[in-house]
Amino acid sequence: YLSLSNMPNYKLTYFEARGFAEVSRQLFHLSGTPYVDNRIQRERWGEFKSMTPFEKVPVLEIDGKVLPQSFAIARYIAREFGFAGRSNLEAAWIDAYADQFKDYLEYIRPFFKVAIGASQGDFEQLKKEFAEPNRDKFFGFLEKLAKDNGLNGHFVGDSLTWFDLLIADHILTMENFVPGFLDAFPAVLETREKIVNTPKLKEWIEKRP
Amino acid sequence: PVSLLAMPSYKLNYFDARGLGEVSRQLFILSGTPYEDNRIPKDQWPALKEKYGFGTLPVLEVDGKQIPQSLAIARYLAKEFGFYGANAFEAAWVDALADQAKDFLSEMRPYFVIAMGMAEGDKDKAKAEIALPAIKKHFDLFEKAAKDNGSNGHFVGSKLSYVDILISEFVFSIDSFMPGSFDAFPTVLAVRAKVTSIPAIKEWIEKRPKTVT
Repeated sequence: YLSLSNMPNYKLTYFEARGFAEVSRQLFHLSGTPYVDNRIQRERWGEFKSMTPFEKVPVLEIDGKVLPQSFAIARYIAREFGFAGRSNLEAAWIDAYADQFKDYLEYIRPFFKVAIGASQGDFEQLKKEFAEPNRDKFFGFLEKLAKDNGLNGHFVGDSLTWFDLLIADHILTMENFVPGFLDAFPAVLETREKIVNTPKLKEWIEKRP
Repeated sequence: PVSLLAMPSYKLNYFDARGLGEVSRQLFILSGTPYEDNRIPKDQWPALKEKYGFGTLPVLEVDGKQIPQSLAIARYLAKEFGFYGANAFEAAWVDALADQAKDFLSEMRPYFVIAMGMAEGDKDKAKAEIALPAIKKHFDLFEKAAKDNGSNGHFVGSKLSYVDILISEFVFSIDSFMPGSFDAFPTVLAVRAKVTSIPAIKEWIEKRPKTVT
């Protein structure tokens, strides 16, 4: 048991959104680790931009030392608190699927930007052209992964990982834009149900801003 | 040293290119670990594609178990062989720089496809509008990281990490298309000089298959 005075001070800075910081917030909650959930308004981004190493958020400060890049942050916290798989090989599969997820996000971006209101466009047309085919490809992989992993409530291994959290959060986002978006992937949805019902996570999801 | 009998068998599957596979090849070489350098000819790829999980290369096989995605592979090997920083925070910074380097590559892609004749476009226009701004944006950050790290020939910490190799290889590749592109980033070039001065790497660079990318 670590005394509070031995624990580092954590401060996570991001916008007032789930986005690329939510996985890290969830890891703090799941591990019962205190942290400062620093949310900045988008209008004030100009003030903070040049103070970050790569001119992006999220950034994580650990006793004042700054770390950029959302996946590097999530992986760092996940390792500290035991949510990065049980072996180097499991960690590598998590990393591989997470990077594949990042590629998928890039492919659906034309649809996503319109869905969140960041640009103009034909929602239905972009959904058919970008969101659906890329969903079918990536979530096809995840459907197989969940089944091959024994439908145990995790995509890789037998314990909760940052990749589980990443996918569960994304599904929520996409279902908000397109109800039933993942209905063709029952193993994925079953896995998501188990993930979000993890007690500490369920509690956070209910009370988060 | 681990007995050869205890070591896993490694097979790296990629194209006959440096690209996203080269960092992993160099990690095997630096650690003196035997591996099969399986280079798949482009014309054979369509038939073989479905053998590989995501339908993309590189894929590392560890005792037959597949790991896809170039950075997942590099990170796995870096951890196994000790090229991943001296502690968890350093490891995270190595990863952050590697992800930033991947973002850089994505931004350069529209230029590469034109420069390599795989898409229609004005090479000079693509260079001015796509390549040069991307290089400036990302290499300003890499130059600063190398300087903040003490200009010691590494991006993070005081020993070689996989991101030193990764960024050095990108510099080599792009410099071959656009000589002098990194003259404004001397501390980055110093990292590359340090990587390429390692005898095993120097020897490998001399004898490796010469490919365009």
